[in-house]
Amino acid sequence: MSNQAQLAAQSSLALIESMINKAQNRYSENGTLYLLWGWIIFICSLGHYALLAYTSLGANAGYIWMLIIVALVYQLYYLNLKEKKETVKTYTDEMIGYVWMVFGISMGLVSFIATKLGGWQLMYALILLLYGMPTFLTGAIMRFTPLKIGGFVCWGLSISAVYISSKEIILLLIPAVISAWIIPGYILRAKFKNSFNG
Amino acid sequence: MFKELDPILHSQLRLAIMSLLISVKEAEFTFIREKTNATAGNLSVQVQKLKDAGYIEVIKQFKDNYPQTTCKVTPIGLKAFEDYVKALQQYLKV
Repeated sequence: MSNQAQLAAQSSLALIESMINKAQNRYSENGTLYLLWGWIIFICSLGHYALLAYTSLGANAGYIWMLIIVALVYQLYYLNLKEKKETVKTYTDEMIGYVWMVFGISMGLVSFIATKLGGWQLMYALILLLYGMPTFLTGAIMRFTPLKIGGFVCWGLSISAVYISSKEIILLLIPAVISAWIIPGYILRAKFKNSFNG
Repeated sequence: MFKELDPILHSQLRLAIMSLLISVKEAEFTFIREKTNATAGNLSVQVQKLKDAGYIEVIKQFKDNYPQTTCKVTPIGLKAFEDYVKALQQYLKV
């Protein structure tokens, strides 16, 4: 076979490689939703604890979690806007979307089941356990270590929930969201900005 | 014996389009144009050739009153691409 054919084959392979790299070298995650949920849950858990500790609201203090609805509405608006702007759909984005959808459904079910059957302590232990899963999996899919670490922190906190029977258990959510959403969210945002500047 | 290289894929722009589409679920015409640096006219012609060969699916629709063309690889296209890469590898083993 001629050298020319070999050269053509080589340049074709190089073209394929460069195109695949171009398709994959796009940092579409800017961390917005991580920061939104991170700060909402941070505020809700700190607020819930403060209301329980320093007011006589009692069980009504739990209404602070209604703030989640605000985050949900914003998320729907944001995703709608993002979809309009996006010119490409990748399998990675789709997988990550499904992972978090499964988490959302599971969280709703666990909250319902645990409040009916098991009570607070079980609910917090299970929520933290579940929270670790999508966090770790997203980290694995994106090859992004801060999220993997966040997953492990959540699992560690779910074990510690077993040993805290007082209202302080609510505060466990704070280190969980800081490690699984807030810190990775800011790192993703910085990477996203760099990918435009660099 | 050397396999004949698929003439549909053995063209720089068509191969670039297929390589891009193979890596994603689907992509808009504007994304492909941006990544390949091709002119809209040339890209349209090559996209049409890939479509006629059954290698890609082209979906034309309206998004916010603007026409939008989305492309995705078909199973036939995927098989053709794999065969093409295998044939290339065979050439390089010589």
